[in-house]
Amino acid sequence: MAYAGSAAVRTALLLVVWWALTEGDPGAAGFGLGAAVLVALVSLRFFPPAAPHPRLAATLAFAGYFLLRSMVAGVDVARRLLSPRLPLRPGYLTYTTALAEGRPRWLLANALSLLPGTLSVTLRGDELELHCLDTSLPVHEDVARAEHWIARMFAG
Amino acid sequence: MSDTLLLVLQALLLVTGCLFFAVGTLGLFRLPDTLTRIHALTKADNLGLGLIVMGLLPAVAGPATAAKILLIWLVALAASATAAHLVGRALRAMEDGDDGSGP
Repeated sequence: MAYAGSAAVRTALLLVVWWALTEGDPGAAGFGLGAAVLVALVSLRFFPPAAPHPRLAATLAFAGYFLLRSMVAGVDVARRLLSPRLPLRPGYLTYTTALAEGRPRWLLANALSLLPGTLSVTLRGDELELHCLDTSLPVHEDVARAEHWIARMFAG
Repeated sequence: MSDTLLLVLQALLLVTGCLFFAVGTLGLFRLPDTLTRIHALTKADNLGLGLIVMGLLPAVAGPATAAKILLIWLVALAASATAAHLVGRALRAMEDGDDGSGP
């Protein structure tokens, strides 16, 4: 049952992608429907449905947080680059994450690369090694906040 | 009147977006090492692309084209985060003395 549900959700998402790629051309809809169903079935063989599913409200909350903070990240990096003194204090920081293995950890690592001042370098088990632009900033608190939002997404 | 205002806003968003791309590229020249350069490229280009996408959205033909532009932005985000992580990991592995192809 979970399998059929996942197949339906994935087919629907792929159809949206197809609709966007063909810019809503009705002549391509039939081919798109066939392709979406096939790709959804193949994707289930490679990536079986994994629990827990991300929760919609918490996912939107994380998306909002991510959008705002990634704008801050761009402005922050631009400000440093345009300053004649080039204010940087680069260094490594190892963060131990409490997130579950798999998607939650990967999402955190990838999101952090686009958030202010952090770049994920390695992820070994629950140890996430970050490169920081300015180690005098409260990087640890920023990472903990992003982690908190992702933990809420995957809270079973 | 409001058409003109929208046009000005769009132009502003597009120009600001391009400026962020330029600043990201400036980072390639000003910054001292690979990792700090990746910081500049991923973050400044991400914001630059976001601004350009917002500037283009009011001008598209229909919702499907808007979705396509948003999709491009989303894929570019995922690609830049993944590429940044892969370059960082390979670099770290080289410092540790292997070839960076490990898990």
